[in-house]
Amino acid sequence: MAKYKFTKNQEKEISGILEKYPVKTSALLPLLTLVQRSDQLVSPEAMVAIGEKLDVSPAYVQSVMSFYTMYHTQKVGKYMILFCINISCQLNGCDKLLEHTARKLNIKVGETTSDEKFTLHREECLAACTEAPMMRVNDTYYGNLTEQRIDQIIDSLD
Amino acid sequence: MSDVTLTINGKSVTVPKGTKVVDAAKQVDVDIPVFCYHEKIGPLGCCRMCLVEVEKMPKLMTACTMDVASDMVVNTLGDKVEKAQKGVLEFTLLNHPLDCPVCDKGGECPLQDNTFKYGPPDTRMEFHRANNVKATPLSPVITIDRERCIACQRCTAYSERIEQDCGLVMLNRGFHNEVNTFNNEPYDNRFSGNVIDICPVGALTNTDFRFKARTWDLTNQDTLCANCGCNCNITFGTRLNEFMRIEARPNDAVDDGWICDKGRWGHDFVKNKNRITAVRENNIKDTKPTSLPNFPIDTPTAQAAEKVVEAFKKIADEYGPESIGFLGSPYATNEESYLYQKLFRLLGTNNIDHKSYLDTPGLPIDHYDIEQIESSNVVLLIASDPTEELPILDLRIKKAVSRCGTKLICLNDQGTALDKYADLKVKYKVGSEADAVDALAKGLAGELGESTDFSSNLSQTGISNDEMKSLVEAVRSSMKICVVYNPAALSGDTALRVKRLLSIITKIPTIECGAIPAAPATNAVGAMDMGLVSDFYPGGVSVSDGEKVKELWGETAPTKAGLTALEMIAKAKSGELKALWVHRSNPVVDFPGRAQVVEALKNLDLLVVHDMLETETTQLAKIVLPSNGPGFDEGTTTNIGGRVQARKKALDSNSIDDWKLISVMLKRLGDETDYSRVAKVLDEISKKVPGYQEINSRLVGKLGCNRGQVSNEEVSPGNGKGAQSSDGKLRLRLAKYLFAHDKILDASSTLAHHFKSSSAFLNEADAKNLGIANGDIICLSGNGIEIDAELTVDNRCMAGGVVMPKVSDEQGINGLLKLDGSPTWVDIKKV
Amino acid sequence: MTQILFKDINKKNLHTMKVYEGIGGYQSLKKAFSQKPEEIVEAVKASGLRGRGGAGFPTGLKWSFLAKDVFPRYLCCNADESEPGTCKDRELLLKNPHLLIEGMILCSYACRIETGYIYLRGEFHDLSLIMDKALDEARAKGYLGKNILGSGFNLEIHTHLGAGAYICGEESALLNSLEGGRGEPRMKPPFPAVEGLYSKPTVINNVETLCVVPYIVNEGADKHAALGTEKSKGTKLVSVSGHVKKPGNYEIELGTPTSELIFNMAGGIQNDNKLKAFIPGGSSVPMLPADKVDTPYDYESLAEAGTMLGSGALIVIDDSINIVEATLRLISFYMHESCGKCTPCREGTRWLHQIVERIMQNKGQLEYITKLEDICDNMAFKAFCPLADACVAPVVSSIKYFRSDYEEYFKNVPAGVAR
Ligand SMILES: Cc1cc2nc3c(=O)[nH]c(=O)nc-3n(C[C@H](O)[C@H](O)[C@H](O)COP(=O)(O)O)c2cc1C
Ligand code: SF4
Ligand code: FES
Repeated sequence: MAKYKFTKNQEKEISGILEKYPVKTSALLPLLTLVQRSDQLVSPEAMVAIGEKLDVSPAYVQSVMSFYTMYHTQKVGKYMILFCINISCQLNGCDKLLEHTARKLNIKVGETTSDEKFTLHREECLAACTEAPMMRVNDTYYGNLTEQRIDQIIDSLD
Repeated sequence: MSDVTLTINGKSVTVPKGTKVVDAAKQVDVDIPVFCYHEKIGPLGCCRMCLVEVEKMPKLMTACTMDVASDMVVNTLGDKVEKAQKGVLEFTLLNHPLDCPVCDKGGECPLQDNTFKYGPPDTRMEFHRANNVKATPLSPVITIDRERCIACQRCTAYSERIEQDCGLVMLNRGFHNEVNTFNNEPYDNRFSGNVIDICPVGALTNTDFRFKARTWDLTNQDTLCANCGCNCNITFGTRLNEFMRIEARPNDAVDDGWICDKGRWGHDFVKNKNRITAVRENNIKDTKPTSLPNFPIDTPTAQAAEKVVEAFKKIADEYGPESIGFLGSPYATNEESYLYQKLFRLLGTNNIDHKSYLDTPGLPIDHYDIEQIESSNVVLLIASDPTEELPILDLRIKKAVSRCGTKLICLNDQGTALDKYADLKVKYKVGSEADAVDALAKGLAGELGESTDFSSNLSQTGISNDEMKSLVEAVRSSMKICVVYNPAALSGDTALRVKRLLSIITKIPTIECGAIPAAPATNAVGAMDMGLVSDFYPGGVSVSDGEKVKELWGETAPTKAGLTALEMIAKAKSGELKALWVHRSNPVVDFPGRAQVVEALKNLDLLVVHDMLETETTQLAKIVLPSNGPGFDEGTTTNIGGRVQARKKALDSNSIDDWKLISVMLKRLGDETDYSRVAKVLDEISKKVPGYQEINSRLVGKLGCNRGQVSNEEVSPGNGKGAQSSDGKLRLRLAKYLFAHDKILDASSTLAHHFKSSSAFLNEADAKNLGIANGDIICLSGNGIEIDAELTVDNRCMAGGVVMPKVSDEQGINGLLKLDGSPTWVDIKKV
Repeated sequence: MTQILFKDINKKNLHTMKVYEGIGGYQSLKKAFSQKPEEIVEAVKASGLRGRGGAGFPTGLKWSFLAKDVFPRYLCCNADESEPGTCKDRELLLKNPHLLIEGMILCSYACRIETGYIYLRGEFHDLSLIMDKALDEARAKGYLGKNILGSGFNLEIHTHLGAGAYICGEESALLNSLEGGRGEPRMKPPFPAVEGLYSKPTVINNVETLCVVPYIVNEGADKHAALGTEKSKGTKLVSVSGHVKKPGNYEIELGTPTSELIFNMAGGIQNDNKLKAFIPGGSSVPMLPADKVDTPYDYESLAEAGTMLGSGALIVIDDSINIVEATLRLISFYMHESCGKCTPCREGTRWLHQIVERIMQNKGQLEYITKLEDICDNMAFKAFCPLADACVAPVVSSIKYFRSDYEEYFKNVPAGVAR
């Protein structure tokens, strides 16, 4: 297994993160997030490197990581579309809109477009129920969706 | 700790505070079914099988997570609990295959048992079960069947809390969770096999045992592991006199319920093709004529032995008793060693030993049981590497540190895996242990109003004044300390210095203390106790104590100190020693100076080897006698904690038992004692050996008992200095690895994945000087030989030293050492 | 109606220190530092404030449970907001981060805490940036750091992001997650107040709960206690969502009739359909049929009606859908979010899902309903944590009130499906 190298900047960020906690392992989620934000996935090599930083076994890192839904081991598209399908959105017709979105992107839910631009996932409640139906694209929330609005949003992303 | 009284199913029970309800119930024979709970791992609360009703609590409670409280009223019967149990079992079985008839766990499966006792009559599940993967390898020795896993998390909790490497984990979440390792790599640490014993279903199984036999067809013998000085308790399963499997047999005083993988799978010797099964006379060309008759083929072993012992007698008569010697075994049982020393002392010699290092029997302070590590405030490890030498001791120390608040101090010339659990690590230069130990002793002597200046000792050791001060302070303020030291890893007379240190500690009024002499060999303590030494009779009675010797051993018993093992070999070389008897020992590989040992042994008039496997030494012997090793033998051994336990016969062999064979020879020499059963030998031991007075087979029972103090004669160490630098050469430190490619674990062993290649560990400074780097193949030369090794530069030892583990018999690493046991300096060059 | 939390919520740039201070922000600190910490705990007790995260536990009492004389102690603000239907904390964090910081400072002072964490669900990355900025501002002003306002009291607050797991809203799972572990709940006892974060005494409070504290310190416990009902004091943010015309977060005095929220504040039912059911306190609580719509929105009245106030998320369902559809969606959520640690939850959620799915495929049998109820009974209060109970709530209540919706599916069972 090749050795994973953090960049200088990352190393700096890592020291900053570590300062927040009296116990190193607390930095595990933040470090995984840091890696994923730069690599769009967390590779086994990165898990080993993170484990070394925090004095935990790589198995521990993988165990923790696989518990959370936001980490990926496969590369995802540049834009990760998380479409809320929980109850408030369901009541407001999200199923049809999700279908529409998939059709527009020409993929099935759970897939990534062939140009690796979009990945479309179902998501559980994102705490924006009063704006249902809604979706999250990378870090941005989009509420009160309609077919037209979805088209507009997707078209505006490059 | 205070006690608590509660009521369970109407029965009153009193237990210590902190006890879980589930354990309290056992005391009054109330069975609360469990899956995830394991007493040694601690509560998890995952499986919900143990739900019980507790008065004043609206919900059912899990008995495994709940501490007892006084006046608590627990009810494990009734409709509410019954419905819950049925419900939980139904959930548990939802996705579990009903393949009991072909499952290896069948017959000893808690899931099967609980279902039978508490379960629903049938399942209401009409959907497809989850399609988890059937049996796949989890490691070379463990098979995992994820389909059968009920996600109780015992195994992963074991990995986290007990072996603490966190190699086996739960991946994913919810219904998709699975027991796995990082990146599907094998789960292969030294303690992996315990997960097989604790898995309550057939999800984790012993690959070696799979499909070999049904559990109910096994004959199980409760016996001991013979691989190291811990003497863990095991169950040895056989079928039709064939080895089937080994399982842990919990004994809190020894193993806490765990065994290491060497104990579980290091048993190839029982069916090894190199087993010696009959007496044999080697056709050795250079041997001088002896008065031994030639044995016809098929001579019974006992008959041959009688002839051989007569030959020894003849040699002793002719050349004096100093001309014969006995090299015993730290692996033999107490009974064998006791009888052998008796035999040779009857022949008039004290040329008796079993080791190549210096040590004396007994301790000047309490001999602590392994369990006492948990109740000590401080454990001081001196020159000991439990992880590699005595694995179960490693687990106990980790438990003490992580759960009992014990502090660990490491005083060593090499870094070890336990270092990361240590509160304080003090490293000295390879070979300077004498000074390091003396400095600590001096520092502590200050407490007793003696000189405290240890600086003169430190100059050679590489330890700073401040480090030594904090070490002294840590020991001084320990209140209760357990000193664990490995006499076999100490050079020169350091073992004596450690004893001097111990007697100083014991004089400090504020400290309660004890020690564990942690030599790696299985019965190293027993061998010392049984008098397999040149200057002590059994029980630490000095040979020079004429009166006592005569009282115990008769008028003619020799009272002149004999030759040590290394001296015997030297005298064999010079021709003064004519005949040597070797019992279950392989000096060619295990003693310093391989080539010189061979030369010396070849020079003997008569070499007899009584062993169970062919070795480099048996090849040199005139006569080879078959020995019944572990699995086949019976008797007692004394572990590093001073606990005497019974090794039982699990397999029948065609050879005569060792103790029996020795008794035949004793009889031939005129000893009329009745040794009709091995227990009679133990009876004699209890009469003759100080420290063993009370011991008999009933007391030993299944779990053993602690022997008393054996006498400890204070022997003052010399004034020898430790490491002197020797013009740029490096001082060699051999490290012992239990998981090595040796006679026990041969190339075809299931544990071959633990074998390491020949390697050497060097300090950065030295590597830089020598212009060599990590990964280089280097050649070490010393004592006229050369050995190649892969270099690791990791500061495992300080500058000026090199650590080399003995990884196989082939490696021939002992050849680098000098026969006289003096310090070994090696040269290193890049190949 | 008195508003404590939302009075200025739509003020422009409220999230900046300047605007926040302009409306009297951080004034409570001076007042607090002039009192003994215990006095603040007493005031919070007297105010009748109860936890707004779901369980409704009296906040002052919780603070007073901290293990005596054990330090350091920690404060964890629960900003996981993952209960379906709930989105009130998000609005507070987005628009008024300083209010939370002020509340956390007061709580920390009262409980002698020197380190606080704000645990935000991973999806709240944008909020964490807003929060970090607000924290920086507070630090620059000397409201955080060493010797705050010369009081000798020190406090640091950090944000910490989760990574997608509903269960991390459960307080002990939150602690595990914050310690860098799997978000599985912990055994209780010990409770966090005794052994929480890093095994030290820890206060865990919801965002909304902490945001009320400045009001109590500023205006006095009595003023807070005067709001709401006899036992449910103060105001509550309610996220009204689902089939309503004007979904949104509304601050009400506890005790306000539910119908007021649905028909008045939220503008009534979409398309002027008929109200069929409502889930008053987030997806984890039992739903009620339309005829209970006048139930006063407070802890006791809702409990009496057989449900709970929960996190204050009112999900409104009209008669355009079959309740089983909504129920399946909720079961599916809990199945997805079950941590898998304990058997009844891991297996039960999936089994319920299989059965209801089968029903919706018109392949069910009438006995399935009894079976569902029995499985629910085997799950309820028998799992490691309340997640299993939460999954059971919609199933049991939907069967109780809308059995006919299930029966719809048994009408056209295709031939060949076993009876
Ligand atoms: C499954 C589950 C999920 C929860 N999710 C949340 C949550 O997202 N936010 C929250 O504040 N409390 C949540 N809680 C409640 C917390 O466990 C805890 O009671 C609360 O944070 C305490 O704060 P409070 O007293 O201020 O309400 C959840 C509880 C459970 C059992
Ligand atoms: S493999 Fe065995 S011990 Fe491990 S979780 Fe599964 S059932 Fe439990
Ligand atoms: S044995 Fe108690 S929950 Fe598993």
